[in-house]
Amino acid sequence: MAKDTDPSPLDAAPVESPLDAPFPSKRMLVNLGPSHPAMHGTVRAVVELDGETIHGMKLDIGFLHRGFEKSCENVTWTQVFPYTDRLNYVSSILNNVGYAMVVEKLCGLEIPDRAKYLRTITSEMHRMCDHFTLIGAMGLELGAMTVLIYAMEARDLLWDRLTELCGARLTSNYARVGGVSRDLPEGWVEKVERTLDHSVAMRNEIDKLLTRNRIVMDRCRGTGVISRADAIDYGFTGPCLRATGEPYDVRKASPYLVYDRVEFDIPVGTNGDNFDRYLIRIEELKQSERIVRQCFAQMEPGAITSDDPRFVLPPKPEVYGTIEGAMAHFKIIMEGILVPPGEAYSYVEAANGELGFYAVSDGGGRPYKLGVRAPGWNMLMALPQIMEGQMLADLIPTFDTVNMIGGEVEQ
Amino acid sequence: MKRFVGMWLVIGAVLVGLVGLFAAFYALAALGAQAAVALGFPGFFGSSIVNAITLMAVTLMTVAALLTVAERKWSAAMQDRIGANRILVGGKFPLGGVPYLLADALKMLTKESTFPVARSKFLFELAPVLAFSPTFALFAVVPVGPEVRVLGQQVGMWVASPDAGLLWVFALAGLSVYGTTLAGWASNSRVGMLGAVRASAQMISYEVSLGMSLVGVMIAYKTVNLQAMAIAQGVDVIGPIPAIGLLLQPLGFLVFFTSSFAETKRAPFDLPEGESEIVGYFLEYSGMKFGLLFLAEFVEVVILGAITAAVFLGGWHPIFFEGWLKAHLDPVLFGAVCAAAFLAKVIFLTWLQLIIRWLLPRFRYDQIQALCWKLLLPGAIVNVFVTGAAVLADPSLELLAWIGVVEIVAIFGITLAVARPKGAHAGHDAGDAHGHAAHAAGH
Repeated sequence: MAKDTDPSPLDAAPVESPLDAPFPSKRMLVNLGPSHPAMHGTVRAVVELDGETIHGMKLDIGFLHRGFEKSCENVTWTQVFPYTDRLNYVSSILNNVGYAMVVEKLCGLEIPDRAKYLRTITSEMHRMCDHFTLIGAMGLELGAMTVLIYAMEARDLLWDRLTELCGARLTSNYARVGGVSRDLPEGWVEKVERTLDHSVAMRNEIDKLLTRNRIVMDRCRGTGVISRADAIDYGFTGPCLRATGEPYDVRKASPYLVYDRVEFDIPVGTNGDNFDRYLIRIEELKQSERIVRQCFAQMEPGAITSDDPRFVLPPKPEVYGTIEGAMAHFKIIMEGILVPPGEAYSYVEAANGELGFYAVSDGGGRPYKLGVRAPGWNMLMALPQIMEGQMLADLIPTFDTVNMIGGEVEQ
Repeated sequence: MKRFVGMWLVIGAVLVGLVGLFAAFYALAALGAQAAVALGFPGFFGSSIVNAITLMAVTLMTVAALLTVAERKWSAAMQDRIGANRILVGGKFPLGGVPYLLADALKMLTKESTFPVARSKFLFELAPVLAFSPTFALFAVVPVGPEVRVLGQQVGMWVASPDAGLLWVFALAGLSVYGTTLAGWASNSRVGMLGAVRASAQMISYEVSLGMSLVGVMIAYKTVNLQAMAIAQGVDVIGPIPAIGLLLQPLGFLVFFTSSFAETKRAPFDLPEGESEIVGYFLEYSGMKFGLLFLAEFVEVVILGAITAAVFLGGWHPIFFEGWLKAHLDPVLFGAVCAAAFLAKVIFLTWLQLIIRWLLPRFRYDQIQALCWKLLLPGAIVNVFVTGAAVLADPSLELLAWIGVVEIVAIFGITLAVARPKGAHAGHDAGDAHGHAAHAAGH
């Protein structure tokens, strides 16, 4: 880390004629963060400024490091779920589902249809929450605080519905190995449909406020640009990659759950700038809403978890009524499910991009090793390159649209 | 419906209250004038001193302080929130959040004052004063009401009416940049410094277009004295329509209003503050020093509203039913009605500024400069030449008024033309061509 007292380059303009007075100017190091209104979570950006122009930027992450991967090795496979909630805390069900899928892949477990639909519905609702948060935050970064409040309203209504389903607003802990934890409460579908209608109204309002707003266009177009080739090289995924024109979406490229049974489009941008990233998220809100409504139409009653006694807790009457049930329950809780030895990588499309879980099992009740491919990481690492030569004021919205989530990146 | 009726009742009551208030102010000013005459000074000495207290210390400060509450409540209304309502008077009545005015002041006054150790001590203390006082003093030349004869004395509702009226405004508005810049520089903080540099660049640039935009008005009314300008705006120009500044100088109005926005350093021009980027030039201030910088902003909003009203919205002329009012009311009461009309205009303009502040995002540093130098300043200069030619061709101002009508129609036309077609989805490339015209019209 360069210190202030280091021999900073005295950027004197090249003296061209004897009449030119050399005017030595110094670059200024500015610390943004770790506690700074623009730094989501706690991350520090050390920015070297020449006037308002950024020449060099260092990112200092790790303030939110919790030792996720190591912690997971110390608990049973099923106890990992609450930890995954804290990865991308705005859309926790997507993480739950991603982790459940890697364990199911190791176990070779098929989950019932209804569980797939429930996972899809809740995932898409959380994707909407994530996009709403991000769009609102972008408004805030640009100084349009009203947009933030509108987005929060839509997001919190969706969270309210998920609270009715999972019991928690933020840390949903909804998926289970072999299915999901609860079935839908009575009348929930109608309520969600009403909430979706409301969120559509809010989305349109935000769209009207921002999309054709001259200031937003000026601020977002052509700022934070990354080319398609660079984005692929850095390992971008999700909306940020699609904004550059690469139509890669795990939901289409390698359909999981019921994404092959519903119709939806993958919006693709052209310029890879902040404005495209914003537009893509607005469009994905529409697509997610479409998926949820289709799932409601297609879903049929049925079991919500697999009935494989090796991996799934027995029903409560059996636990309390029979000795076998009680023992199975005890074994799974105390020892953990015994996942067959092997390793697996499973990936889902999280709100920010491809969320991958890599799990190694030694046949015991606890993960031998668990790795997470956080989508935000790659985007964050590209930030210094994206911001080189741009203005300080553009750093803030760019930081927002690449959507770095501390919980996920720093694990 | 009940709320709608209630709203109009409240507005009516406020207007009646303002009329009463200004009648009292006239009486006080007359008493002051009598006292001055009794002591052997010219009468306006006394009325000016009284007005300095009633207009600046009471009216201006009250409006500015109320504006802090109004901003909270109005932003809440715009954002589907309730806003400040936790202080309950008598355990029951939130009174629209007005008690927050006292609570905020108390908080500012009793808060611990913390300083950065490496500050420049003198300038650090001086900056809030420099930011606040020139802004505050601007109000001195604003004519709130007409000159009327009360208790045997000619009294006007202004603190001072120098012949240099508008020049005084420019001079003092130019001074307020020092407070902002010094605040950032003296606190020896890098982000504060950035804010200060942004503030000085922005305010000095917009000073130019601010001044240029008023040249047209000076040409049209042939004076720089604000009181004379207000009187000139009462003269009919097209049929019964009076020659208010908005009609004669719509372009000048847009440029002035936009520039004055930049001078107040509020969104969309709030980059010296930029709370999500650099937190601002007053980052290191706390307690009442911060309070002064904070209040200076609100005072500025009110004052620029007042100057806009005085120059462009017909000054203290009530405009509607003016002739009837003048014929049927006692002169003092008529003066009070005029002053109330002026304050109502100021409140309307501050309300407009609140809406814009909560609606629009922030510009970037280079865009703000481009807007000033490439759009507002050329616009203002064109306006000066057009106005000059029109006044030269037709000194009765009728031609200028018709040009103004054409300009207003054109501005509305451009705004409607670039407005989003219903139901159309915004493409990335749509609407590039209209440039800043729509934006300026938006102001």
